[in-house]
Amino acid sequence: MKVGYYPGCSLLGTAKPYDTSTRYVCQAIGLELEESPDWTCCGASPALKMNNLLSVSLAARNLALIEKTDVTDVVAPCPFCSRRLKNANEELDVDPELKKKVLEVTGLQIAGKLSVHNLFAFIRSHIGLEAIRSRVRMPLKNVQVIPYYGCYVAEPGGASDESDPKNPTSLDEIMRALGATVLDWDFKTECCGAALALTKTEKVLELSGRIIREAEWRGADLIVVVCPLCQANLDTRQGDINSRQKTRHEIPVVYFTQLIGLAMGLSPSKLELNHHMIDPLPVLRKKGFLA
Amino acid sequence: MSRSNNSSSAKDFLSDVEKRSHQNLLECLQCGKCSGGCPVASEQVPGPRQLVAEVLAGLKQKALSNPLVWHCVCCGTCLIRCPVQISIYRVSSALCEIAHEEKMAPSVPDINLFEVLFLKSVENYGRLKELRTIAEYNLRSGHFLKDVDKGIRLMLKGAISPVEIVKGWEKDKRVSSIFEKARKIG
Ligand code: SF4
Ligand code: SF4
Repeated sequence: MKVGYYPGCSLLGTAKPYDTSTRYVCQAIGLELEESPDWTCCGASPALKMNNLLSVSLAARNLALIEKTDVTDVVAPCPFCSRRLKNANEELDVDPELKKKVLEVTGLQIAGKLSVHNLFAFIRSHIGLEAIRSRVRMPLKNVQVIPYYGCYVAEPGGASDESDPKNPTSLDEIMRALGATVLDWDFKTECCGAALALTKTEKVLELSGRIIREAEWRGADLIVVVCPLCQANLDTRQGDINSRQKTRHEIPVVYFTQLIGLAMGLSPSKLELNHHMIDPLPVLRKKGFLA
Repeated sequence: MSRSNNSSSAKDFLSDVEKRSHQNLLECLQCGKCSGGCPVASEQVPGPRQLVAEVLAGLKQKALSNPLVWHCVCCGTCLIRCPVQISIYRVSSALCEIAHEEKMAPSVPDINLFEVLFLKSVENYGRLKELRTIAEYNLRSGHFLKDVDKGIRLMLKGAISPVEIVKGWEKDKRVSSIFEKARKIG
């Protein structure tokens, strides 16, 4: 199966392990990724707050260029990119006046024929658990993972393929298919503080701190995420959370694609598992998972 | 409480916000469920219910300078909880947009500065240059050494590359024309 692939800016920078592991894993499960031609930023929340026409136009430029290829579905690993592309697609569909303005701004026609998905939910719904299970070489036995979806997945009518966006379950199911023990908890769609990391750092330490504390209390070996912002906040700010709250948390935070790759037998360095601030290798070694 | 102040400017403001945000604010029950779940609400930042009350009452200046409109992280929790499906981030975004258009000084300048630098990067290079934007924010906001320790650790792990900050200064015209035209047409 072939789909359009919109990596998004973070995956070229701080979330490079997400991009790397996505490409390996999709190849292994038979999902051919056609990278969006000449893609540019979706505008994220800053464009949305500055000027709605700008925000829709930035997303529309990418949609129009993907429409020129032969795919009908497009996946984005980042839940915010995915939400922006999907929302813009829908707004253009129902608002002819906006569509006219966007055409004027971008010079590009949008037919509205694409269907936009979160990568993880698409893998669950279109590739399926059986296909994943059948490729597992090293089941994640005895590894206790906490699936953290983050807030951007959960918006109703947002970018999720979940049957109930208020209570997403795809990530839990994928992790179980890898043989991991999936822990139940209350924070799976709570906000980590997102883009306030630089400007309102205290707020992010508070919000991310709650998530880490709960994950630790539940006994998580790893927190598994689908969002680059969640990964960055929970991983790189854990040290500051510890000094602020006088705790000693040290829970690695990894992308779901890295764990799929690991269970399929790809090497940790190929999956760039050694690129995170809190190194996940010691805990995996302790679980007898790595040689 | 009265649904809205009857003066025409108050009504104009309410309908402007409703039109831009595509949210039917008159349906708001003022139940406060949104505020209960909003991650950024605090002693300093009023919850979304109060923001809606301000818009309904036509308190334009108050609503435009409400710190929530800048703090809002677009998480959508309010929308999930709201019994009448009001999405507050659409409302905050509409208010930020109006504040920009009216050239009002942002009530939370540091968040605004970060967003302006983010968009400058996208306008110039087509994509966000994360590290450069972070460095520029720290310089401009006077937090010179903020998070430098983390940057160095990640560099040592090979996770980020210092080259990224210095290379690729050439401008990219792919999206700068989109910015220009969108500003003009608004
Ligand atoms: S949850 Fe909805 S109805 Fe209740 S106060 Fe908030 S916006 Fe109004
Ligand atoms: S979308 Fe904004 S207003 Fe709504 S809960 Fe999230 S941060 Fe609060």
